[in-house]
Amino acid sequence: MTLRGDPGTSSLRNMTGTGDIPLSPGDDRAGRRIWTDEALMAAVVIRDPLAFAAIYDRYAALVYSASLRVLSDVHEAEDVTQDVFVRLWRRPETFIAGRGRFLSWLMSVARNRAVDELRSRGRRHRREIVNGDSLEDDPSALVPAETDDPLLTAQLHEAQKLVRAALVGLPAEQRRALELAYFGGFTQQEISLVLHEPLGTVKTRIRLGMQKLRRALENRV
Amino acid sequence: MEAHISQEQADEYAIGALEPEIERLIALHLAECPACRDLGRDSERLALTLSLSAPRRSPPRSLRSRVFQSAGISRPSPLRRAWVLGRAAAGLVAVFVAIAAFTGMVSVRGQIDQLRVDNRDLQGQVGRALSQEVEIAALTRRLSDAERTAFALDQTTSEDRDLLLALLSPTSVVAEVVSVDEKSTSIGRLVWDEDQKRVWFVAANLEQRPAGETYQIWVSAGGRYVSLGTFNSDSQGFARYGTTLPQGLKTYESAVVTIERYGGAPERSGPSVFVSDLSRFRR
Repeated sequence: MTLRGDPGTSSLRNMTGTGDIPLSPGDDRAGRRIWTDEALMAAVVIRDPLAFAAIYDRYAALVYSASLRVLSDVHEAEDVTQDVFVRLWRRPETFIAGRGRFLSWLMSVARNRAVDELRSRGRRHRREIVNGDSLEDDPSALVPAETDDPLLTAQLHEAQKLVRAALVGLPAEQRRALELAYFGGFTQQEISLVLHEPLGTVKTRIRLGMQKLRRALENRV
Repeated sequence: MEAHISQEQADEYAIGALEPEIERLIALHLAECPACRDLGRDSERLALTLSLSAPRRSPPRSLRSRVFQSAGISRPSPLRRAWVLGRAAAGLVAVFVAIAAFTGMVSVRGQIDQLRVDNRDLQGQVGRALSQEVEIAALTRRLSDAERTAFALDQTTSEDRDLLLALLSPTSVVAEVVSVDEKSTSIGRLVWDEDQKRVWFVAANLEQRPAGETYQIWVSAGGRYVSLGTFNSDSQGFARYGTTLPQGLKTYESAVVTIERYGGAPERSGPSVFVSDLSRFRR
């Protein structure tokens, strides 16, 4: 993923660029698979179910995986995934192409929705997250989820390997702080409380972890 | 929040590590500050990489249909697709049937046109026949009228002939009839043929009686009036009435013409128009 510079040079196809919307009468779902995310969203705004289907098939696994990572419950992860995509269909205008990339927006929506669900569980369940280990050495964790686009699947798999490698390369306490914040929905103060570490320490761990992650992934993902 | 945000703040914001109050302030600032928004996008992309680190799992296939159903996007069921295909096939068959029907209709239409022509001819013939029937009916009516007229004329001629014979008969007498109204211009005669037992009354300038009235002629015999019958004058004021004398009538004193109700009265009751003295005819 390109973190700086021209957004059109992204290594992940369909994640960047706006492009024209091919809406000729002969277009079908297969044709929409080559559309950019922004073009598909523009079509969703005008109630094109085939464009919505293309977006779902492209990113449902990502949304579901992230939700499952946050919630650790397949049923709740399904509910969150369903909710995210239904909201996308009903209110596609909430995505504004000029303010960022679609995938960043989508995953942000999914993460926030999953964290809201997590917070609704209460403190006890969140404790379980604190005690768990997110980057377990589970080989199946690296098995790419199927999408309808083999090239996209391969690209995401490659990106996932790089990200996981970058995270594993972080000091454990930094990685833990980042994961508690991002996947656990904890604020810095909450992390400080649950880890029994000073707030300043937590802030430093997060800052350093993000800096190292940025350097590790720059121009690679 | 007036100052620009730092990279550290942008990162903390992107991974959701900030307290809610500070998070809201930064969100507002990012919405208004293009420079900081670029910074925020960069941090969001970095945070996105964290989501990519999650073990990849494929959602159940049933979730897709659940999402579409929940979104209100219906996908045709196999039954529905079969129905649509069946309907399309039925439509195709209908097109063929329509084409065949159209082809047949061209032939049928020609026959219908011919039938219409024939029908028009028949209607013309019927019309002409009806016209002829009407003409025939009119002619029949005129013939019937003519026959009635001829019969009436024949009867009139016969009566005229009888009257003429009576006048020529040496046994007949003619009695003067006097109008009761001195101002009246009506004149009349009574022809009496004793041998033929016939009597005629002839009058001129006699006013035609309106509907509901008639003239009735009486003879006085032995103090009582015997009706000889009723008559009316024509539009020219001419009247001629002939009848047979009643059986057993031997003496006559007078004759009177009165105005009675239509059909005649059993007893003399109306006003008198003519009076005739018949005493000299007594035999």
